[in-house]
Amino acid sequence: MGVVAISANKQEEIERFLYLEASYLDRPDLDNWIDLYTDEGTYWMPAIPDQKDPDNHISLFYDDRVIMEVRRRNFVHSAAASKDYDVRASHIISNIQVTDMDEETGDCTVTSNFHCWLYYNDKQTPYAGRYTHELISDGLSYKIQSKRVDIINCDATLNTIIIYI
Amino acid sequence: MSYTQKEIIDLVRPTKVHRKVYTDPEVFDLEMERLWAKTWIYIGHESQVQDKGSYITLNYGKVPVVMVRDTDMEVHVLHNRCGHKGVKLVDKACGKIPAFRCCYHGWRYRLDGKLLGVPYMESYEDTAFNKEDPQYSMQKLRSDSVRGFVFATMNADAPDLRTWMGGAADVMENLCDRAPDGEVEAAGGVLRYEHECNWKMFIENLNDMMHPMVVHRSVVECARDYIKTLPPDSPRLDEAEILLPFGASYEVMNDSITGFKYGHHYDGGKTSIHADYTLDPEYAAAMKSAYGEARMNEILSFNTHNTLYYPSLTIKSAIQNIRVVRPIAYNKTIIETWSFRLKGAPDSMLKKTLLYSRLINSNGSMVGPDDLTAYFRAQQGLESEASDWIEMHRHFGKDEVLTDRVIGKGTSDLDVRTQYTAWREYMTVAA
Repeated sequence: MGVVAISANKQEEIERFLYLEASYLDRPDLDNWIDLYTDEGTYWMPAIPDQKDPDNHISLFYDDRVIMEVRRRNFVHSAAASKDYDVRASHIISNIQVTDMDEETGDCTVTSNFHCWLYYNDKQTPYAGRYTHELISDGLSYKIQSKRVDIINCDATLNTIIIYI
Repeated sequence: MSYTQKEIIDLVRPTKVHRKVYTDPEVFDLEMERLWAKTWIYIGHESQVQDKGSYITLNYGKVPVVMVRDTDMEVHVLHNRCGHKGVKLVDKACGKIPAFRCCYHGWRYRLDGKLLGVPYMESYEDTAFNKEDPQYSMQKLRSDSVRGFVFATMNADAPDLRTWMGGAADVMENLCDRAPDGEVEAAGGVLRYEHECNWKMFIENLNDMMHPMVVHRSVVECARDYIKTLPPDSPRLDEAEILLPFGASYEVMNDSITGFKYGHHYDGGKTSIHADYTLDPEYAAAMKSAYGEARMNEILSFNTHNTLYYPSLTIKSAIQNIRVVRPIAYNKTIIETWSFRLKGAPDSMLKKTLLYSRLINSNGSMVGPDDLTAYFRAQQGLESEASDWIEMHRHFGKDEVLTDRVIGKGTSDLDVRTQYTAWREYMTVAA
């Protein structure tokens, strides 16, 4: 995928938006996080490298608004035993590149590399990989139309992934 | 091994089981030797090795094996081990090869495991080494299949596969009959989920119908809460159809459990948590034209929840999803989730199966992690010697005993009692 040349301002605006999303997942604060998504927004974590689509192959996550809304509530529900343990994360995002840009609307596709350390149930687990964000611009900021999270060990034996990465 | 025959027998009583069956690494080793090596273990589905030379690798208990399609299209299950120095011959999850070739000294094997060639044979001149001696070939496991589901055993004396399955085979038949073309194929890949618990905790939960309303209450309530925010005329949600039955009452869960010899059982029959799924009209039309309405209704009204083929395979015929148990250690198990395509059915059916696998069984789901939390807490809690026994009394003495099966209420511990009856038999035979 090619890289689109954009202004430094635009680049910074996009980076700020990705950092904001990551900061909500660091805490994690799913109530604010979900507001960054459009109503049709999706969060997808494929289960194999280069997975073509989420419909004909299993994924680790493929959440539309319905599942995001359930997950947001479940994450803080007192009866969910798996949520008895603190969840803390630290995301680092880098190599942020705009690979597609609609000059008229400002909508764009952004890829980036991430490292995320996730602390949960007395264990600290590293996740690393690549994000692909499809962003919708409203002129002032962005909403996420889709976020694809390719972790480099997506097809390995994994334990519980308690929260969005 | 320090366990005497009597000590093994004493670990299991009619209504209780000793905590050591979960916590003692020595019991785990004995299980691999006496139970897993002696019974039929699920290997994979024939559709995973469609072409000549296609293979999949896996562990049978602790033993690495490979399932491979031969040039005559026969499927073999072989020890994945070079006859020379024991090196694993193939080490990818799946692949395609013309023949096996060892990465170490280049010994080559036919797809049925027979040793083909050894480099520089001259060096064996005047020694007793004989390339034709079967000990130098890849060893074959006894294998057989039901509707494409391949099992293998290391026990030459095991009953034939169908006899071993008994009446539990009806559910596997039903899963395949749900395909308009009468066949299923593995589709959409696999999820492998590490569980920090004994393998038995996972299979004992399958037909434990007393846990969903407790363990899965949160996700059911959250789904209900969200649905309340939607306009009343909103379209039906597949997610809601799948999630909400996990909150069904004790009464609804009470249909029945049917247990069989060798530890197999299924829950439901008349109804299950899958019974109220909307019938896809395109699928219904394909089924009707394949089977006629009466037979179609018969197939679709056999509604089971989970079916266990003790100890390694659990299937859901109604949603075409299976889970496979791969024990690693007394406190570590890998659970694989596979999805199946009904041949002749519209693509929407596989899509729903994958939605189910993702929503319920995925590492990122809101159902599986709560089950797993109960298992690993049990694994930790049972280290306590506060009591040595785990009870399984529920509906004891009220099971209906027929010639080939035992039937009890859905909320019975019959499933666990059935498993431990088989467990004790395996563990005490010819030790």
